[in-house]
Amino acid sequence: MQAQLRIRRYNPEKDTSGYWGEYTLNNINPNDSVLDLLHRVKWEIDGTLALRRSCAHGVCGSDAFRINGTNMLACKTLVSRLGAGETVKIQVEPILGLRVIKDLIVDMEPFMNHYKSVLPYFINDEAAPENGRERLQSQEDRARFDDTTKCILCAACTTSCPSFWANERYIGPAAIVNAHRFIFDSRDQAPEKRLAVVGDTFGVWRCRTNFNCTNACPREIEITKAIAEVKKVLATGEI
Amino acid sequence: MTTLSGVTHRKVQVRSNFERFAFLFMRLSGVTLLVLAVGHVLIQHVLNDVHNLTLEVVAATWNSWGWKVYDMLLLIFAFSHGMNGLRNVLEDYIHNAKTVKIVNIVLAVFVVVTIIWAGIAIASFDAAPFINN
Repeated sequence: MQAQLRIRRYNPEKDTSGYWGEYTLNNINPNDSVLDLLHRVKWEIDGTLALRRSCAHGVCGSDAFRINGTNMLACKTLVSRLGAGETVKIQVEPILGLRVIKDLIVDMEPFMNHYKSVLPYFINDEAAPENGRERLQSQEDRARFDDTTKCILCAACTTSCPSFWANERYIGPAAIVNAHRFIFDSRDQAPEKRLAVVGDTFGVWRCRTNFNCTNACPREIEITKAIAEVKKVLATGEI
Repeated sequence: MTTLSGVTHRKVQVRSNFERFAFLFMRLSGVTLLVLAVGHVLIQHVLNDVHNLTLEVVAATWNSWGWKVYDMLLLIFAFSHGMNGLRNVLEDYIHNAKTVKIVNIVLAVFVVVTIIWAGIAIASFDAAPFINN
């Protein structure tokens, strides 16, 4: 089996604009991941190819790319998902809406700044229980934010969102997901601070409910639903 | 061992702003339009043959204040709902705060003037000359 890869290349020290690099790989397996193929390009053909990756098992969220026009994690996307037959065509480009630093590497700072703006950490000023155990919570209360605990900050959702492409001041789906995780945690004491951020002009109101984020999420978080739940809290004043 | 059960609902203070009102308005007007616009389509295009939609038919309808009010509500909600949608789209792509403000003022004036102008046209419509007795 053969893979014909088109990879978006850009070296700021040499290139004035990006271009498509084309590479052919032989003897590939349908069970190879796109990350395996990118490694083969980097290790066997062109060592200057720049990309982020770490765990290679869909946990660290480093290798989100736009693969055949859709945001995916390269390590979780198998060749068999992209095509069958003797030759498979695969196009890999950086996620959209963030500045490209080099090849497939983008500047994640704007994304991380939006994430940090929602105070994505547990806030509770009361003393911890005397027995030294955890703050208790019912299973029903825990279930309310279970889905949004799964975010790995890969940015696949935010960079698939047309509202974010149009205006990077929009905090984006990932930041809202992480705000949801704490707003709906009954043990947390700062939902109002987070609601002030996500209720701002560039918060949840920029979401146009087009579900790109939900489709892009490699963790299958129901992101649009989480955003709708945050909107409902802002509309009703009740969590 | 302590076991908790049930969902904890909490009241929170929410800071209101224009976007929150706009969001609530879109939901309210959307539900209202489900009744008004679907009713309009049913009456004008399903129950009545669109080929028979003449000035006499419109005049007969607007001979009643009930239908005049219905059409004015349809005008108010449909137009303001649509123009707020346009405002949302434009705000996505216009990044200069001053330009956004100008566009919003132009849209608001356009909505108010059109609703008043069309509202007067509907309210002052005299059906009598067009109805064949």
